[in-house]
Amino acid sequence: MYTCRERSSSYVNFGNKLMTSLKVTALCATAALLVTGSTAVAGQVMDDIKSSDELVCLVNPKSPGFSVPDSQGVFQGFNTDFCRMAAAAILGDASKADIRGIGFSDSMKTIVAGGAHMASRSITATGTRDADAGMAFVATTFYDGQGFMVPSALGVSSASQLSGATVCAEDGSTTLLTLADWFGDHKIEYRVENIADKTARLEAFFSGKCDVYASDITALNSDRLLSDTPDAFTILPEVISAEPLTLVTQPDQDLEAAVFWAFQVMLNADKYDITSENIDAITADISAQPKAVRRMFAQDGATADMATKLGLPADWAYQVVKQVGSYGEVFDHHLGAETPFKLDRANSVNADFADGGLMYAYPIR
Amino acid sequence: MNERLISLRDLAWSAVNTPLSLVLTLLALIVFSQVGWAAGHWLVFQAVWPWQPADLCAIHSGICWPFLTEKLRFILFGTYPYDDHWRPALASFLMCALSVQTGLQMIDRGFRLNALQTLAVWGAVLLLAFVLMAGGVLGLERVDSVRWNGLPILLILSIAAIAMALPLGMFLALARAQSRFRALARMATAYIELTRAVPMLTVLFVGIFVLPLMLPPGVKISPVGATLVALIMFHASYFAEDLRGGLQSLHKGQDEAAKALGLPYWKRVGLILMPQAIQRSLPSLVNTIIGAYKDTSLVVVLGIHDLTATARMSFSDPGWRGYSLEAYFVVGLWFFVSCAFLSVIGRKLHRKAAIG
Repeated sequence: MYTCRERSSSYVNFGNKLMTSLKVTALCATAALLVTGSTAVAGQVMDDIKSSDELVCLVNPKSPGFSVPDSQGVFQGFNTDFCRMAAAAILGDASKADIRGIGFSDSMKTIVAGGAHMASRSITATGTRDADAGMAFVATTFYDGQGFMVPSALGVSSASQLSGATVCAEDGSTTLLTLADWFGDHKIEYRVENIADKTARLEAFFSGKCDVYASDITALNSDRLLSDTPDAFTILPEVISAEPLTLVTQPDQDLEAAVFWAFQVMLNADKYDITSENIDAITADISAQPKAVRRMFAQDGATADMATKLGLPADWAYQVVKQVGSYGEVFDHHLGAETPFKLDRANSVNADFADGGLMYAYPIR
Repeated sequence: MNERLISLRDLAWSAVNTPLSLVLTLLALIVFSQVGWAAGHWLVFQAVWPWQPADLCAIHSGICWPFLTEKLRFILFGTYPYDDHWRPALASFLMCALSVQTGLQMIDRGFRLNALQTLAVWGAVLLLAFVLMAGGVLGLERVDSVRWNGLPILLILSIAAIAMALPLGMFLALARAQSRFRALARMATAYIELTRAVPMLTVLFVGIFVLPLMLPPGVKISPVGATLVALIMFHASYFAEDLRGGLQSLHKGQDEAAKALGLPYWKRVGLILMPQAIQRSLPSLVNTIIGAYKDTSLVVVLGIHDLTATARMSFSDPGWRGYSLEAYFVVGLWFFVSCAFLSVIGRKLHRKAAIG
C-alpha cells in the first residue's frame, strides 16, 4: 500500500519534473537566443540544494571506518567524505553537508520521497534498484564482494572445502541470499546460524559456535581485528558476489553530473598525487604542472567551463581536493594502514587503474 | 507480624538450621561471592580511572572510564549539534524534574499542585522541551528531529506517550465498562483487543508507514510524531485494561449511592469511581508504566536513535571499539535508577492506598 502511494506520487513528481524540464528547455532556448547566458539549466534538486544552502546526505549510522559519529556527534568516515565532497563541489563548503545517520531501507525510501538529496552509505548498485523511479546510481566509490572467514586451524584453503559447515551470517541481509545461491550452485551442504546482532555474531564465530563467518570482504578484514588473536583466522580467496558500493542521488541530471565529476576530480587528484596538503603548492605553480592538472585547477581550465554549465562555484575542483582530499587520501585516512582496519588499497580492486585496480579516472577536459 | 522483630541471630540461625537451609545458604554464598568478585574486579581492581590515560584500557580488563568521559556526551545527546548540547540537556532536566515532582506529589511530597496546575505545568514543560529541541524560534537554530538522539528523545517519547496514553486509556476503560451505549462499548472492546493482540513492533511500523497515508494530502508528520502517536495508541489499550479491572472490582453500591445523591455521570466518574479504580489498579498501572518506559527503546527499529542506540554507536567509533560493556553499563544504570524510582513511588502509593 505504501509503495503504491509512493510510486504514484513519484510519477506525479516525474510528470511535474517533465513539465518543468520542458519549460526550462524552452526558457533556455530563448535565453540562448538572447545570448544572456544563465544558470537556468540547473535541475530542481540542484536548485533546492542551492536555495537551502545545505546538502542533505544519508549515511549508515554506525559503520566503523565508513560512517560513525565521533565524540562530538559529527559523522566521520570514508562514506561521509563523499557527502562532504558533494557539498564542497556544489556549495563550495564541505561543512554544508547535513549528514544524517539512517537505516538501510529507510534511506532508500527517504531518497525516493525527496527527503534527502543523496546517500553515501555503501548501497550496492543493482539492476532492479536502478530501474525503480526516484533513485539514481551515480559513481561507485568502493568495490567490495562477499567472502568467507574461517579459523586457520580448520586447515581450509578454499570455500569448496566447506561441505557441511555452519555459517554465521547476518539475519535478513542479502548475505544470506548470496550464500544460498553460491552453495546451491556448487551443490555443497551447509547450515546457517542467523544472528542479527553483530557483536553476538562475531562472538559466536570467535568462540567456535560456527565454522565460517560470511560477510563483505572489507567487513571481514576489519572484523577479524576484533578478535584477541586475529592471526588465528583466515579470509578465503573466493569472492562470491559483486558489490559495487555506489553513491545514490535523487534523479537530477545536474546533480548527478556534479557528483560524478567531483568524484572523478578526486580520482584524478589521486592519479597525479595531488592531496589536500599539496594542492596549494600545485595551484601556486600551476603553469609548471602537466596539462591534465592545469585543466583541473587552472582558472580558465575545463572545470571552470563545467562550472558555468552546471552552476557550480568556479573553483569547485580545487575546493573538493582542498577540503576533502584525493580518493587515495580519503581511503588511507579512514581505512588504510594507520587505522584499525588496515586495508591495503594498493593490492585491492580499489587501487588506481594503473596499479591494476578498478579506479579509472575519467578525463576532465 | 512486624519483620523488624526478627533478630539478626534468629535470621542467621534460620539460614543453617536444617540441611536444606544449609545447602541453600552455601549455594547463595558461592553465587554472591562469585558475582561480587567479578563486579569488584571490573568496577574497582582492574578499573582504569578517568584521570588515567586511555591507553591503559587495552591492558586492564576493568571498566574504562576514559571511554566514558570521552563518549558520555555522545551517549546522552548523540548527533545533536555539539555547541547546542545545553538545549537537550535542559530539556532532559526539565522532563526528569517534572517526572520526579509528579511522582513525589503523588506520595504527598514535593510541591503540592492541584489538578489544573499539574496539567498546566505538564503542558508547559512538554511544549518547552519540544521548542528547546526543535528550535526555529527565539533565535534558536532549527534542529531536524533526525538529530534528536539519546536521552531527550527517550524521555520525550516515553513521558509524552505515557502522559497522553493514560487519559485515552481512561476513556477506553469507561467506554468498555458502561452498558448504556452498546455500540461504543463494542468499539472500545474491538480497539483494545486489536491493539493488544498485535506486537508493539507492528504497531510502531503501522505508525510510521500507514499513519502518514491516512493524513490529508499536504500534511506531513515527522517520524518522531508518528512514533509518538503509535506509542500512545498502543499503551492506551493496556492502561484501559488495568483501569477496567479497577472499575469492575468496585462495589455496585458506590455508583448507586452516587446516583442517589443526584450526581451526573461525569461527576460520578470523576469523584467516586475513577479515584477508587485508579487506587485499586495501581500495581498493574505501575507495571504497565515501567514496561512502556523500557519498551520505548524499541523505536530504534524506526531509525530513531534513543539512549540504547547512541550507546551502541559510541563503541562503533574506530578509535574506541570494544567498549560495549561500558556503554551498556551507563544505559543499564540509567534504566535501573529511573525504573527503581517508578517502583518506589508505586510501592509508596500502594501503601498509602492501603492505609487511607
